[in-house]
Amino acid sequence: MKKINSICIIDDDPITVFGIQKMLGLVTDCKNINKFINGKDAIDGISSMLENNTPLPQVIFLDINMPIMDGWQFLEEFIKLPITETVRVNIVTSSIDELDRKNWELYKSQTHHLITFNNKPIKKEEMQRITKVA
Amino acid sequence: MSYNHITLVGKYDKMLKKDLKLTNNYLIKQLPKATAFINKKYEVIHASDQWINSFYFDNNDVFGKSIFTLFNENNKDWKIILKNCFIGQPSELFTTKIKDQNNNNQWFEWSNIPWYDDNENVIGAIIQAENITSRTIDELRLKKLETILQEKSEIAKIGTWGFDATTQKGNWCNITKEIHEVTDDIDLPLDTMINFYKDGFSRNRISMAIHNAMMKGVSWSEKLQITTANGATKWVVSTGKPIYKNDEFQGLLGTIHDIDNQVHSKIKTKENEHLLKTLIDNLPLNVYIKDTESRKILVNKAECEYMGVNSPDEILGKDDFDFFQKEVAQNFRREDIGVIKSLKPVLGKETISIKKDGSTTTFLTSKIPLTDNNGDAYGIVGISTDITHLKQKEEELRDLINVTSLQNKKLINFAHIVSHNLRSHTANFSMLLDFLVNEKEETEKESILNMLRNASDNLLDTLDNLNEVVAISSNTNLDKTPINLNGKVESVKQNLSAYIKKNNATLINEIPKNAEIKVIPAYVDSIFMNFITNSVKYKNPDKDPVIKISMSKKDNYSVVSITDNGLGIDLKKYGNKLFGMYKTFHKHKDSRGIGLYITKNQVEAMNGKITVSSKVNKGTTFNIYFNEED
Repeated sequence: MKKINSICIIDDDPITVFGIQKMLGLVTDCKNINKFINGKDAIDGISSMLENNTPLPQVIFLDINMPIMDGWQFLEEFIKLPITETVRVNIVTSSIDELDRKNWELYKSQTHHLITFNNKPIKKEEMQRITKVA
Repeated sequence: MSYNHITLVGKYDKMLKKDLKLTNNYLIKQLPKATAFINKKYEVIHASDQWINSFYFDNNDVFGKSIFTLFNENNKDWKIILKNCFIGQPSELFTTKIKDQNNNNQWFEWSNIPWYDDNENVIGAIIQAENITSRTIDELRLKKLETILQEKSEIAKIGTWGFDATTQKGNWCNITKEIHEVTDDIDLPLDTMINFYKDGFSRNRISMAIHNAMMKGVSWSEKLQITTANGATKWVVSTGKPIYKNDEFQGLLGTIHDIDNQVHSKIKTKENEHLLKTLIDNLPLNVYIKDTESRKILVNKAECEYMGVNSPDEILGKDDFDFFQKEVAQNFRREDIGVIKSLKPVLGKETISIKKDGSTTTFLTSKIPLTDNNGDAYGIVGISTDITHLKQKEEELRDLINVTSLQNKKLINFAHIVSHNLRSHTANFSMLLDFLVNEKEETEKESILNMLRNASDNLLDTLDNLNEVVAISSNTNLDKTPINLNGKVESVKQNLSAYIKKNNATLINEIPKNAEIKVIPAYVDSIFMNFITNSVKYKNPDKDPVIKISMSKKDNYSVVSITDNGLGIDLKKYGNKLFGMYKTFHKHKDSRGIGLYITKNQVEAMNGKITVSSKVNKGTTFNIYFNEED
């Protein structure tokens, strides 16, 4: 298994962030975990990483419903960033809205990044499967 | 007449006896009548010039010839008559028809009598002929006229009657008798004649008429009813006039005309007309007939009512330009011309007519051409159904569908919100419980339990919020009451005074002192609270917040504007989510993402709406439209 150097969690719900982090501890020993509470913060953070040449996250856990800039708006900006590596973006949401699935299909087809769609709550086995370098 | 002739001939006869030889021929020759003397051999012995000329005989070729030769016929009847003469029996007059030179019929009346000599011996016969052609023609004509008159009065059922003042008796012609259904031999004193008139109006009327005729010389013509001898009642026209001779009343003369059929058919026609009129008038449709100039020539009650007149006379002869707005009337006229020219009816066309007073009615109109015997249109029949009501209902229904589909959308949206929010909480619960079960460390367990407690509180909050939204959406029947808006803002300001002071905010109330609007007061409280606290919450960190509340009118709305100098919102990015549930756009610890969602629901519950304009770092203006109508 390829070692993960950097992980990013984008979610405004501290409990979910806590949960993801806790489960990550079980499936990976990556300690470099960045947390953002909305899409805007995340895109700003990743943009500055890109500028400062700091290692970019290889796996991103992304919530959809967030204030200021939601998951989709984040994706819209993210896929425009000049990132050559394939980043795994795991969408984690409690939404079962068909529209969100359609959005996912749309973004999936527009980028070289690997985008997955996952419903909360995430089980440990699932976590193991999606916490991999793409 | 013929008797006189015979006598005359007798005188000539005596003269002939006196001086037979000399004067015989000459006297007879001059007789003014066509007269011939024949011997027993039927040979002509003497003849008057008149006789010879009457039959166009040759003067030299008559005497000594048999009359049968002369007339070129062998008339057996005549021969018998003459033979009777020869034995002393004169014949009756008879008539023959002889063609003249021009081949016209000439009628002759013949008399044949015995010719005696001095010794009273029959020596032959005297034949006299009289041309009665003109008389015969007159007689024929008279006979014909009589027949015609008879038939005429029979067909027309016009009889004559008279009353003779001297005998005090009336007389009726056959037709009059027929009309009265009486037998030929009826005795007719005046009162009998009068009593045939129907008791009551008719009898009184005829009595008066006869009285006036006798006393004042006035003639009459009256439409009256008689009761016939068989008991039938008939309508007749009775006319009469008095006859005077030397200023003395002689009697009455008049006609009686059986018009029963006419009256009945007239009544029938009237009944039919009445039926048709009743039908047309009571149809729940506007019916009219227009001539080729689009002038109304018939209208029914419904059309009168629609036109706002009491009597059809106020419409008849007028056209649409007298009642409708010019453009509407022009359209109608064009349509009429189209129907008249093409002869094709317009059927069930939806038409909007606007009267001069501006009142608008929607009709379903049919226009059908009326054609004469040549197939040319001489007008149109118009039939219109007022479907304004239906139209309104249709519109209401459409509105209702719009409202329903809007509500449906809202409901689906709400269901999504509910499902999403509850799911996110339950997901957290499930996850945290999973951790708790597998956790060995006590401190970690404690921390997870704390989180569970938090999650539970959040869930409760969420449920409270959802409840609030449901309450607003379902409480659409809350009564609106008029409030003084300025006072309302002041009271909200009072309640928030500590908060405003703490944040160094200024609230400017520009609502007119007397401004009143109909609202649900509790909602207005909540709306103002929300906007004011939002403005303070999202203030520009470099400026003290200034919030201005003002009011204006737009269409049917009272528009309350709340303007601040805060952070502003990037409407391009967030405009479509601004009023969504759990949407926040600022990094702020108090952002719950519920306030504007609830505010919007409250405004909509009062049939209002909210618009927003904003510039980032300059400020935001929310316009709340309060519906003044309902």
